Amino acid sequence: MTESVNNSDLLVVDNIQTYIGQFHILEGVSLRVPRSSITVMLGRNGAGKTTTLKSILGLTPPQEGKIIFDGMEIQGKRAYNIANLGIGYVPEHRAIFRSLSVMENLKLAERKKGDLDRHAEFIFDLFPDLKRLYKLPGNHLSGGQQQMLAVARALVPDNKLLLIDEPSEGLAPILIQQMMEAIEALSENTTVLLVEQNFIMASQLAERYTIIDDGRSVQSGTMVDLVKDTDLIHHYLGASIKTREELEKIHESEN
Amino acid sequence: MNQKIKRILTIIIIVLAVVGIFTFLFLFAGKETFIRTTLSGLTLGSLFFLVAGGLTLIFGLMDVLNFAHGAMFMLGAYIGWQFYTNPTFIFGLLPQVFAFSSGVLLTSYMKPYLIRWKLPEKWVKALPRIAYVLALIIAIISFLGLDILELAQTAMVAATTATVGDPLAEISVQEPLAEYWFRPIFIFISGALVAFATSKPGDKTQFAPKEKMNQKLLVPIVLFILAIVATFIRETAPVVILLMNGNWRFIIALIVSIIFGFVFGAVVEITLIRPLYVRPTFIIIMTLGLSYVIRELVQLLWDPLAYQMVRPPLFAQPGKAASLLEWLRFGNTTIDIAGVTFPTYRLFVILLGILMFIFISILMTRSRLGMIIRAGVQDPQMVEALGINVKAIFTLVFGLGVAMAALGGIGAGPFLPIQPLMGDHYQTQGLITVVIGGMGSYVGAFIGALVLGMARAFGDYFALKYSLSTAIAEASTVIIMIIVLLARPQGLFGKKE
Repeated sequence: MTESVNNSDLLVVDNIQTYIGQFHILEGVSLRVPRSSITVMLGRNGAGKTTTLKSILGLTPPQEGKIIFDGMEIQGKRAYNIANLGIGYVPEHRAIFRSLSVMENLKLAERKKGDLDRHAEFIFDLFPDLKRLYKLPGNHLSGGQQQMLAVARALVPDNKLLLIDEPSEGLAPILIQQMMEAIEALSENTTVLLVEQNFIMASQLAERYTIIDDGRSVQSGTMVDLVKDTDLIHHYLGASIKTREELEKIHESEN
Repeated sequence: MNQKIKRILTIIIIVLAVVGIFTFLFLFAGKETFIRTTLSGLTLGSLFFLVAGGLTLIFGLMDVLNFAHGAMFMLGAYIGWQFYTNPTFIFGLLPQVFAFSSGVLLTSYMKPYLIRWKLPEKWVKALPRIAYVLALIIAIISFLGLDILELAQTAMVAATTATVGDPLAEISVQEPLAEYWFRPIFIFISGALVAFATSKPGDKTQFAPKEKMNQKLLVPIVLFILAIVATFIRETAPVVILLMNGNWRFIIALIVSIIFGFVFGAVVEITLIRPLYVRPTFIIIMTLGLSYVIRELVQLLWDPLAYQMVRPPLFAQPGKAASLLEWLRFGNTTIDIAGVTFPTYRLFVILLGILMFIFISILMTRSRLGMIIRAGVQDPQMVEALGINVKAIFTLVFGLGVAMAALGGIGAGPFLPIQPLMGDHYQTQGLITVVIGGMGSYVGAFIGALVLGMARAFGDYFALKYSLSTAIAEASTVIIMIIVLLARPQGLFGKKE
């Protein structure tokens, strides 16, 4: 246990540096994820958000810096060990296993026998479609269904933290709405670190944000403050949000 | 629904065709010849499957086409034969093997300390190289004067001169302990140096947490103790083994081959195949090269000769058994099956093929393993992110595949001449089997092996009857492959891409 860590934070990333081959991708990313909350990482394409998630999981291990999960330093551990501490990962591009059926995709995510049985009700409440498609191979699912399966897979074991990468990417508006509701529902008993390009969705879901730009974390704070700061949004995100009022309206309608 | 009817119709047509062909053959050849040829076909099919089983497991799960499979089949036969005939060679090298692996496996213990060592840049590069060279020199010293060729020949001599009843006739005296002791110690130091080098001292880009350090010492210590034990039983163990009941000795020989195949496969996967997953073509060339290396090594150790392995007592008593029970009681060489005299060992080969099929079926359907690997081939990172050690699973599967090849080799040992090229012919047939059955489908491989075996057996029968060239029987397998590929390019049970 590290004493200096604020116990209300489930995850603390402290100034990590990650190389992929010769490329210096992350040049100092720091962020913290308080327990039972949704934190969102914002930033342009290629800013290093996905690499940050992968670095936390150990898929692209950081060369320097600290990652503290649940009071334990996890940088440098093997990815499967980190995942087994209770971190679920929903990768971008709906990376489900296409050669496996829906059932097998979910079964594969079990860490203990019976994980799926215990959580099946909750999962099928969130995504009723999956129950209907249970025996179908992954490559027969539509894009939206694949995305739901990818999220559902992370819900099978008891995870303390979910890393969700661009859940709304390429989804139809009605599905984005459903996905948002699902993430909101699952965040009631799990902490979530989200990467999201869709600023409206991000601002409605998350309580905290961190902006990543050019491989560095440049700004963090509460979502309430961010939606008031249109200059910041324009500068780093280039979001096509017109007025401050519009943003505030969206945010208020949420609360 | 329409598709379902179509599928049922296809199955009915196939079943009718098969029944038709067999009735025709039965009427044409007569009962006795038909049964004899069918049994030969089953034996051949089983042999093909013993090779194709591991091949299709490795290909189906890992997308690796292992061209060294036939060589591994052959190697398994040699190891099992050595163990069965005179295990002096195996026990003579065991201390070295244990000591070396004990040293190498110190890596996981050393690494967390060594990578934190603060070294100047040039030493980070130079130290591993120095360690490798030193390791090589010390390894050579540890083998200096140890006559491995003579050890290998103990079984050769036993095979050519052994008299029934005195298996100990060819036990040769080995180096006394006073001269021998330094070998395991030196090779252990050599292994530890390799561990030092692979730990990459001072390399900051490496990762290894300092945790559960005592646990990491456990395996090397156990291996070291085994090395010490193996050193002391070098001479007594072969005697004990040879005094055993031959049937038990044969069963242990099967197990030894399986273990050898598994360890050999795991080492090959970790050292040679793992770095090449991103370049599948290279794997094919590498395994092809490996097959030559294995063959040359075997020729060096045991000369390019063919050996006939003595059959275990259960199959060795001259005479014909009237029933299965009688055979099990007396151990006859042949058995009467519906009026046909059939060698009992061939029954064992058929049984081995069926057992292997059951084993693969359980592995692929009942366990998580098949699922993990199918997912792992598509996206290893994501499987790892689910908390599964993918690398270890790949090693396990490759090891299992090679273990099956080795088991096939020793299973066929008392039946085929044991020689350096024994695997090649069966590898070709195994590949044809896998192609006919559909790449990666184990049911397909099983059916394919049966079809090929039958075709060969009946091909031989017709060739003999009409005094045609036996080449027709050999060509029949390729002809079947061409027909299948023309009708169903993905193979009988393959999935469309």
